[in-house]
Amino acid sequence: MKNGKLKAGTIAAYLFLIIYSVVSISPLVIVLSSSFRKPENMTSPLKLFIEFSPESYRTAFTKMGFMTEFANSLITTAGSVIVIVLIATMASYPIARIKRKSSRFLYYFFIAGLVIPAQMVIVPVAQVFGRLNIPNSRFTPMIMFITCSLPFSTFLFTGFMKGVPVEIEEVAYMEGASLWTRYFKVVFPLLKPATVSCVITQGLWIWNDYFFPMVFVSKRAHYSLPVGMIQFLGDKENPAQWNVLFASCVLCALPLVVVFMLLQKQFVNGIAAGAVKG
Amino acid sequence: MRKKLRGASLVMPDRMYLFVVPALLLFLVFWVYPVLQMFFYSVTNFNGIDYNYDFVGIKNFKRILEDGSLVNATKNTLIYTVVNVLCTNVLGLVLALLLNLSIKVKGLFRTICYIPALFSAIVVGFIWSYVYMPGSGMISSVMDAVGLDGSSFNLIGNFKGALYGIIIVDIWKNVGTTMIIYLAGLQTIDESLVEAGKIDGASEWELIRKIKLPLISATITINVVLSIIGGLKAFDYAFIMTNGGPGKSTQTLMFVIFQTAFNNQMMGKASAYSVVSFVLIIAITIGMLIFMNKREVEL
Repeated sequence: MKNGKLKAGTIAAYLFLIIYSVVSISPLVIVLSSSFRKPENMTSPLKLFIEFSPESYRTAFTKMGFMTEFANSLITTAGSVIVIVLIATMASYPIARIKRKSSRFLYYFFIAGLVIPAQMVIVPVAQVFGRLNIPNSRFTPMIMFITCSLPFSTFLFTGFMKGVPVEIEEVAYMEGASLWTRYFKVVFPLLKPATVSCVITQGLWIWNDYFFPMVFVSKRAHYSLPVGMIQFLGDKENPAQWNVLFASCVLCALPLVVVFMLLQKQFVNGIAAGAVKG
Repeated sequence: MRKKLRGASLVMPDRMYLFVVPALLLFLVFWVYPVLQMFFYSVTNFNGIDYNYDFVGIKNFKRILEDGSLVNATKNTLIYTVVNVLCTNVLGLVLALLLNLSIKVKGLFRTICYIPALFSAIVVGFIWSYVYMPGSGMISSVMDAVGLDGSSFNLIGNFKGALYGIIIVDIWKNVGTTMIIYLAGLQTIDESLVEAGKIDGASEWELIRKIKLPLISATITINVVLSIIGGLKAFDYAFIMTNGGPGKSTQTLMFVIFQTAFNNQMMGKASAYSVVSFVLIIAITIGMLIFMNKREVEL
């Protein structure tokens, strides 16, 4: 009796997982299938993978300027993430180590930034850029990526750094290491799990963000992949463009999907660590 | 020793605070100062360009309140948040509980659930615009294929359905991340506690309700907080898929702020929306943290 019940439960579990997976993945399968069709073949999209033509991809590739956009995305994301890891770990160092009210204040001060959406401050931010004579370029959004990432990153690193034993540093202090050496050579390497988590969660967000680049990048040559996609918004109304649009979607999503497939374990652990640590 | 207890010590001197300076400087100049500016602009008629603006007192607030757009956007944002929080968390938790059983091809299911989280909102917006497209979109085509009238389907173009249409998109994108966080929480549970429950004859539901959920209450708090913040910040799909429409039916607070500031060039009015949103977000966040802390202790 009990066995029979358990079996029914297991079947129900599989059934639920299969139904959810099919519903969840079906838009992506249709997009992928349609992207391999010639741009003009829009009939009966439910007939999957009946045609394999690179033509939609070829059109999308040149229309997007894929290589330029890819390079811009890469530069922006890598650059921002490196700076974030550096200055967020630095900021967390005294906050985690000096146990005093001023540290607690700084901690909450940074975290408070987490709840403020970018749309709210975008115009004043643009004015600050204007006053500081910061020109619109591919690097401009990086300033905002770094700034907006500070609440989460500082929070993550502070939590993690509290777990690094103080004794290690006391030994380094006895041996005459300077503060900077202690931070960079002793503490920083021990933060590796948090660093991985920070790189993955923040890298994912920065790579995919279209909002800051949309506002702060004006030259076509400086577009990142998501901003390039925004230029196609008008094509939504033109059904003749859908297959090319699908090919662009795949091209835009492909780099991250590949990285995810290669580093699946790090991704899953990194995302979980980022949330559970807090 | 005594000195060390108070915080200031030889090993951890005060000049360590210099390490905060780069982050603090960025944060003050590009985040805190703009927020203060935003408060200031809310009582002016600044248009975002011309610095010869006048103080107008609470006129901006009165205007957005009187024309009903503030109430509408707040209502939409709250509906968005509530539905988003409930569905994402229930679905994410159920998926995590199932995947935590001894299921075959667990990795494949997990990957399929998570994949949408890798996509840019703009790509997701395009894909779902197609899914919802009336006539030749995916749902219409499926309905036609099974003998229903596909041309009658137009969720995103209808006043009542459009908001829920874009919420579904957001849920679809976020369930994977939520599920992974729940899964990590479930994996921290000490197996012996669950075994003890089984020996005492607890049913699967009782095991979940009485043992597993209380043990992952911290994870629940985090996921709920994250999805509430995500819901209150809702902007992407209103911007990409519906442009706030039809009518004002998918205008969220963030959408109205952006539209008022950029398309209508009314920075004063946009700031008034921002101030209200700010107060709302802070109030909800604080209220939620207090509630969750209390609940965690009770559990």
